[in-house]
Amino acid sequence: MYHIDGTDYLNTPYYKKTGSVCPDCLQVITAEIYEENDQIWMRKTCPDHGDFKDILSSSAKYYKWTHYKTDDWSFEKDGEANPPDCEVTDERGCPYNCGLCPEHLSTCSLALIDLTNRCNFNCNFCYANIMKSGFLIEPSLEEIDRIMEFFRSKPIPPPAIMFTGGEPTVRKDFPEICALAKKHGFKEIIVATNGYGFQRKNGGLEWTKKVYEAGLDTLYLQFDGINDVTYEKTRGIKNLMAYKERVIENCRKAELTSIVLVATIARGITDIEIGNIIQYSIDNIDVVRGITFQPVSLCGRITAEDMQDLRITNADVIKEIDKQTGGKISIESAWYPLSTIVEWGRIISFLADVEPVEFTCHPDCGFSTYLVIDPETKEMVSIMDYFDPLKITTFANKFWEKIKKKEKEPIKFFSSLLGDLGETLDKGLNWVDKQQLKARFLLAMLQHTKKPGKLMEMFSRILIDGKWDSISAFTHGTLLISSMHFQDAYNFDIERAKRCIVHFGVAMPDGDIKEISFCTMNTFHRQDIEKQVAKKLTEKVKNEFNTTVGLRVDEIDQEIAHNGGTIKEDQF
Amino acid sequence: MAEIDPDTNLKIRKLTELKPTAAEEYQESMVNRVDYFSKQRDSTFNSFVENTIVNSLKILLDLKVKVDEMLGDNKEKVHDMIDKLLLLGL
Repeated sequence: MYHIDGTDYLNTPYYKKTGSVCPDCLQVITAEIYEENDQIWMRKTCPDHGDFKDILSSSAKYYKWTHYKTDDWSFEKDGEANPPDCEVTDERGCPYNCGLCPEHLSTCSLALIDLTNRCNFNCNFCYANIMKSGFLIEPSLEEIDRIMEFFRSKPIPPPAIMFTGGEPTVRKDFPEICALAKKHGFKEIIVATNGYGFQRKNGGLEWTKKVYEAGLDTLYLQFDGINDVTYEKTRGIKNLMAYKERVIENCRKAELTSIVLVATIARGITDIEIGNIIQYSIDNIDVVRGITFQPVSLCGRITAEDMQDLRITNADVIKEIDKQTGGKISIESAWYPLSTIVEWGRIISFLADVEPVEFTCHPDCGFSTYLVIDPETKEMVSIMDYFDPLKITTFANKFWEKIKKKEKEPIKFFSSLLGDLGETLDKGLNWVDKQQLKARFLLAMLQHTKKPGKLMEMFSRILIDGKWDSISAFTHGTLLISSMHFQDAYNFDIERAKRCIVHFGVAMPDGDIKEISFCTMNTFHRQDIEKQVAKKLTEKVKNEFNTTVGLRVDEIDQEIAHNGGTIKEDQF
Repeated sequence: MAEIDPDTNLKIRKLTELKPTAAEEYQESMVNRVDYFSKQRDSTFNSFVENTIVNSLKILLDLKVKVDEMLGDNKEKVHDMIDKLLLLGL
């Protein structure tokens, strides 16, 4: 596997101590991460609630690769975190002081706003649903404007924003919200959706065109598989594949050509659809840009035995992809943690003078790979066939280490001799210096590239200018596949929480904006915050989506339980 | 195209079923995106300097792939040496 085969590190059992929480009382406790039977586990003991054990990775080898360190190689990156927004008021520290507190190590790359908790679906395992909470969560347009302003005014602003829910497209002012995000300078505007607004038989196409023109760039489309029966198990709704296809078709007609399929992976229910989803994406490559597999998070009380049955890890997803693609996307070579490209991003940002994107998340948070069709052989291949990622990443790490001082301290040769008069000359000198650095970097990337072609042409453009045009065109010729495992109280690792790059923005009743990292929001803060921002639920809103009629039928029982596990037969 | 799995009764797609036109569609999708941006006045795809650099790199890459083939087993050594050269003096 990669470059750790044959090393002592691979043959030494993995062990590490970290901070976690008790799944019962959510108090911080110490946890041990250790290797057992070729798997990686977390164990912890709460003085009041006893022992807990959970699997972190079903492949010790893969996990160890993502935690491998040498002098010039590590997936654990130091983030250029923005200044803290809140004081430490709770002496227990992270994760109780979100807002963000000084302990946070990464800046936000993707800002999230929950636009509503209204939804036309009523999925058992969803954490944000009006039918369960009994109150309405829906920030006003003015509050949304302030949240966007808050994020974009940071020293390192997030380039992308995602609207979440509930189902964000049930809001009538959704097109105005997209336009507002564009006005604030977000480069990528994304909606996490089940497809509601886009699929409507009456007006769906016109609405899709309208939101695209307003600025929406990408759909994160909930997509559990290609079989209706799968959706019946996950969502309790009939005929959902036709619903999803209407979304795809309307986006195609509206020329909204950036859809990422998001599949919640539950053992025995959607894991068998993984290959289907990849194939479906390839069939629809004109509009589908990527797939994100999300192993379902677990919550509520679960026995140790149930936990072992239910838990599915990123490594399980990767193994399943390997199996269902006949080894074409191999666990042995295709996957890299998101943090791999941190140094590349910094180099491009510095040399091309563009906003940096900091993917300094923890190596356990997510893995990804690009899939491409080789124009010569017509074979589907991993992008690793196009270049040598180990070589170029190692070079990028070394290169950034040597040039990073130039970002903070530009050359001041003429200024030191001539004072203010020398500033213009120094600007020229720095420009020349950047061009020679750019040439060196490009040549290094070139020499580790294995195949020519249109795709590599686009890749070289990203390296030259770092512009969104180049990145977007590159992604239109590839299929990004990623696996992202959100934390829950059972597998919570505080080191991961501190490095989170996906942050919610919430407008609080006192006028403040709270910035809270994704997993801490859902595990610790959501309940309390929602109580503070809740609005009264009117009968009109309550009856807006009657999920017991129409597509949904009473005799269908969802097989995914409230805790994210599978409902056993006797529980129906 | 899809088979029905006898155990689960689910449609199962095999990744060997790649459409013969898939490679062209990938490329076309990328080219369409370039066209979309090219219509915008300040697009990077309209930059003469950048287009010249990209075309030069394309020629260099074609050459480099041929040289790599000729180098055979010595390729790794040559690459390591060039890496060192490119880091020299920084």
